[in-house]
Amino acid sequence: MDFQLSDDHRMLQDSLRGILTRHSGGALWPALVEAGVPAALLTEDEGGFDGSGAAVALIFEEMGRAGVALPLAGTMIGAAAMAQAGQPAEDGAIVAFADAEPGTRYDRGVAIRALGDRLTGRKTMVAGAEDAAAIVVTTADALWLVRPGAEGMSLRGYPLIDGQRGADLGFDATPAMRLGSLADFDGPMARGVLAHAALALGTITAAVNLTLDYLRTRKQFGQPLVSFQALAHRAADLAVEVEQARSAVINLAGHLDDDAPLRDRHLQACKVTVGRVARIVAEETVQMHGGIGMTEEYALAAMVRRLLAADAAMGDADWHLERFARGEPAWA
Amino acid sequence: MDMRFTPGEQAFRDQVRAFLQAELDADLARKVRLHQPLTKAEMEGWHAKLSAQGWLAGNWPREFGGAGWTAIERHIFEEESARAHAPRIVPFGIAMLGPVLQKFGSKEQQDHWLPRILNGDDWWCQGYSEPGAGSDLAGLRCRAERQGDHYVVNGQKTWTTLGQHANMIFCLVRTSTEGKKQEGISFLLIDMTTPGVTVRPIVLLDGTAEVNEVFFDDVKVPTENLVGEENQGWTYAKYLLTHERTNIAGVGFATAALENLKRVAQAQVHRGRPLADDPLFAAEMASVEIELMAMSTTNLRMLSAAAQGQAPGIESSMLKIKGTQIRQRLDALTRRAYGGWALALPATGNEGQPEGADEVLSASATWLNNRKLSIYGGSNEIQRSIIAGALAKG
Repeated sequence: MDFQLSDDHRMLQDSLRGILTRHSGGALWPALVEAGVPAALLTEDEGGFDGSGAAVALIFEEMGRAGVALPLAGTMIGAAAMAQAGQPAEDGAIVAFADAEPGTRYDRGVAIRALGDRLTGRKTMVAGAEDAAAIVVTTADALWLVRPGAEGMSLRGYPLIDGQRGADLGFDATPAMRLGSLADFDGPMARGVLAHAALALGTITAAVNLTLDYLRTRKQFGQPLVSFQALAHRAADLAVEVEQARSAVINLAGHLDDDAPLRDRHLQACKVTVGRVARIVAEETVQMHGGIGMTEEYALAAMVRRLLAADAAMGDADWHLERFARGEPAWA
Repeated sequence: MDMRFTPGEQAFRDQVRAFLQAELDADLARKVRLHQPLTKAEMEGWHAKLSAQGWLAGNWPREFGGAGWTAIERHIFEEESARAHAPRIVPFGIAMLGPVLQKFGSKEQQDHWLPRILNGDDWWCQGYSEPGAGSDLAGLRCRAERQGDHYVVNGQKTWTTLGQHANMIFCLVRTSTEGKKQEGISFLLIDMTTPGVTVRPIVLLDGTAEVNEVFFDDVKVPTENLVGEENQGWTYAKYLLTHERTNIAGVGFATAALENLKRVAQAQVHRGRPLADDPLFAAEMASVEIELMAMSTTNLRMLSAAAQGQAPGIESSMLKIKGTQIRQRLDALTRRAYGGWALALPATGNEGQPEGADEVLSASATWLNNRKLSIYGGSNEIQRSIIAGALAKG
């Protein structure tokens, strides 16, 4: 039993923190690529150099803490799937992962279908699609590779709630390459869930820390807010829930390479726990701040929005809870 | 990061399982599983078996006759014992007084009292709470006045668990009313057979008398029964509380309760099918199981940090809150799983009871009895204040 970071991972964490402090905006992605961060999310077989649960968890937790809004999770899933299917993505390229569909919570294949090697229908909330070198698209039972600008494909961009740009994608008999059936990619998909959960954990930590700072410094009735028991006990409850979320992320990271039944159980438990805690933290931190927590200008606003996004990605807490309760695998 | 137990820890777990398999009587395990009160002889019998194996005091260093287990080994023992429905080791001598005497007691006190705990010569109980001092323990008023070579004790203790079986009680008593209230408290060992000691049972929600009131009326206690220094008892009491909380998460108990709940939900019929297949109930069970999966890892993380020498801070308070919430949720679901079949009063005695309903009665009794979990050992509100106090410092 050892919950410490390895020396390699500690170095990765240090270098990542340095980059996240020095770079922002458009300069951040090239800096991350240069430092090998996307490659650290892939296994050697996939053309990377790590891809372990511990590496994925630590990278995305740091991203969450720093409030980074980049399509890194989609790139990781897409690049891993492409490599697995013998179609490796270009080094440093953004890959969009087009999973969500309009008109359904998390069903796949409701708004899109494949006929031969062509896709027709719609995908929505596709992060990074405008800048992507490749798009990996899910259908009811398969993963497909679509090149941006392919025949019959349309794109309408808009801001996402987590600070990224997303897009609606339309396909009209658009040529696509079938990468394989969905079940073949449960490994990269599990890593994707871990990425979203760890990202949420980082955001959860940042939002709770910001709230605690506020409770310690903001005074009302001549007292710091933290001295009021009604708030102090709620802060304590949040601290307890943060540990639950952290343990759930550790459980998935630690079982990422285990047999599918055990891994999927931890995957579902992780998404349920982190999603639940993310929602509690989003609601409680705004309330505990009071009026200032309602303002877009204050740092909490972006965090709250990212917390909502993290729960909604790749199956929310309710969706995974139902599957866990029924003893079903993570997907399909 | 490595979530596996070491081969040595795995071997230890196998050893514990083999011991439980060989030594734990099925009837006794059944009583424990059904939360039926054990007799004094049953508890002492289990202690004797553990003592013969050298496992009664897993938390004590070897120099005092303990097993010297690591925090992880203790966790494994507690988890396996709970899953096998072994009686819980009565904590007052082993888990509470032992560590205090080892740290603060005189050589004479250690040589005299520690072997007697291991041999089962004494049954200890804990004299902390008073009618006017619950969560505000330092407000205690039970008074000890020094008169030559002895103290004279007057006052009352309450919530004294299993005090009806005890011949010895360790007490926090007031020896000074000067200065801060924490500064006038002493830690005294009192022989309960001394004239002036009266024990009265308190019947609880579940109908059993697990706890007692203890009255002291001019009770003479030799001064050699003072632990450490006079008026320094609060320090020892706080040290004791950190030991009281080593198994605070109760992962083993929760795991056993979850297994029981799943069994009950599979057996109970709801709308013509097993209750376990009902989406609403299944979701509730899944949700508490998922909480337990995370809490279990939180517990291991904290044990692992402790094993690497980090002092326990607010972690035990966090585990107390989450651990008790999970156990109470499991108790509530188990009771609800029986629906209308859970109306009978789970009292002891010979007033009669419904047929084949031992486990149903046990579910009600457990729910009632385990309301205590979030109250004792520092109520969950006290734990929240402890956590918040640390958070306020940043």
